[in-house]
Amino acid sequence: MRREFIALTRREYLKLLRNPQAIFTSLLLPLLYLLLFGNGFTINAASFVNPVYGPYYTLQQALDFLFRGAPNYYSYFAGGMVGFVAVTASLFLGANVIFDKLFGVFKRTRGTPAPSAAVFGSRLIAGASQPILLSFFVLGLALLFGHIPGLHGLDVTASVTPLGVVEILFAIVLLSGLFATIFLTFGILLDVPQTYFAAVNLINLPVLLTSDALYPWGTMPTWLQNVSQYNPVSLAVNVLREVMFGSSAYPYDPAIYLLGLLAWTVGLVGIAIVLVRRALRPLE
Amino acid sequence: MDQRGRIVAENLVKVFNGEVRAVDGVSFEVNAGEVFGFLGPNGAGKTTTVSMLSAGLRPTSGRATIDGLEVGQNPDEVKRRIGVIFQESTADVDLTGIENLEVAAGCYGISASEGSKRAETLIEQMQLGDAAHRLAKNYSGGMRRRLELAVGLVHRPRVLFLDEPTLGLDPQGRAGFWGFIQKLRKDIGMTVFVTTHYLDEADGMCDRIAIIDHGKIVATGSPNELKDGLGGDVVTLKTSPGAREITSTLQLLPGVHAITHQDGSYRAKVQSGETFVPLAVDAATRAGVGITGVTVKRPSLDEVFLEFTGREFREEEGPNATDRAVMINRVRGAMRR
Repeated sequence: MRREFIALTRREYLKLLRNPQAIFTSLLLPLLYLLLFGNGFTINAASFVNPVYGPYYTLQQALDFLFRGAPNYYSYFAGGMVGFVAVTASLFLGANVIFDKLFGVFKRTRGTPAPSAAVFGSRLIAGASQPILLSFFVLGLALLFGHIPGLHGLDVTASVTPLGVVEILFAIVLLSGLFATIFLTFGILLDVPQTYFAAVNLINLPVLLTSDALYPWGTMPTWLQNVSQYNPVSLAVNVLREVMFGSSAYPYDPAIYLLGLLAWTVGLVGIAIVLVRRALRPLE
Repeated sequence: MDQRGRIVAENLVKVFNGEVRAVDGVSFEVNAGEVFGFLGPNGAGKTTTVSMLSAGLRPTSGRATIDGLEVGQNPDEVKRRIGVIFQESTADVDLTGIENLEVAAGCYGISASEGSKRAETLIEQMQLGDAAHRLAKNYSGGMRRRLELAVGLVHRPRVLFLDEPTLGLDPQGRAGFWGFIQKLRKDIGMTVFVTTHYLDEADGMCDRIAIIDHGKIVATGSPNELKDGLGGDVVTLKTSPGAREITSTLQLLPGVHAITHQDGSYRAKVQSGETFVPLAVDAATRAGVGITGVTVKRPSLDEVFLEFTGREFREEEGPNATDRAVMINRVRGAMRR
């Protein structure tokens, strides 16, 4: 199992490195979002402050309500972009399986005794490493923009502890692994690219649009806030924001959000394992 | 009996979606070291049979054993003992030739160092040494086929399945590929099970042949046995347009086994073409029918196929198979762009 897994993982990384255009475009998308969307879409929290009538008597209260403690929309958005990228960068993992099916490569692998865990696991590890690295790229880029005159950047206002860094790392790994698993499973189960992308959009768009990754929390209707607090993207983003901007706007500790994300991951990965094992049985 | 390298199919049946009977009670035995050809038109059940024998598809009923192992009960162990060259190209085009082989070796649980050694050896044996570190997307069709053959051999199987292995190759590529197969057979004594729509390949390369049609095996034997079974030569006589039918006249001539008539053309299976032709021309002239053309052929596998299926093999297979190969190459080209 170990040798099969290593060989197939090596194949995935070789294919990735042989496709520099894909690497370039995967970096370009978050760069454009951070430059154009984040810098173009600003909300002035001070305009929500009303020292006489409330409900936000101070700027901090307004920031807590609107951006859950972030000092400005860009910083709030930069944390959300990590969740956004973790989902969108996983989209093509399943499509790669479908193209491998169309070109016979998957059939050849299935013709060997390589266990289904190695076939799936190799793609998951190699595939999930892309959104994980991209997430850190986004964080680094957003921090960098803060030092470029004329651009908004990520402004970390809390003192980040080593535990906080570990929590951020776990949140990114869990979220990337979760969506990589979901999209890979679709790729294993489906054979037609059009069907795959239709199915992926059915998951991708509702998940992102019901999260607080991009919407300012305070401008969301109550029903959406209620839905959003259970959304796995929101759970991961909450961990990042709470570690970077402090706990004043969050009812729970980051560890609780991580537990919620872990529950999502365990549940959906469990379902995926059952479906994938059935699809990759030695004899069809 | 020593089961090593043997393939046994016993009454294999495969029904898809509860109604399409793709393979309908197929039974045969292939001995160790034999090259066994499996012929049949499109949709006859060739690839389905190969899939069942190579642990890719579960039979609806019946059983198959490879190397003494029952396929249904030991699919992974069977996969370790067989090599499969699929009908479609399966080379990983973004990997080099060597990397293709190393990944394949890893999939069989072979260590990285041993896999690299075998990859180097095989790539040289397949005369791909100069292209070993080139991406497979830059290989010609023949080179890719040789690479796929090497991939199928990296774990040193005892039985090799080849499903339409020369589809889409030019005559030179086909000859080269079969040269490697013959060498393998001579050097290793490997059992080879091959489906092909090139009857000349089957005739020249296979020890025995089975013809499958509508999911059933209709004939089995060596190419010579099957051809001899037709009973001598095949003579085709063409008569002048509008001439009356003379089937009954020709049937009375000595040495005639069977005659069919279609559009003024008579196809006669006879003991000896040389003896039959002058007698036939004489009989036709006496009956007032002019003969405008005569051909005498030793029976080929085309005739064998026609005899057992009632259809011309080339009409069934040639254009479809070629179209498929062209289509595959076009799709690959489009994806690369």
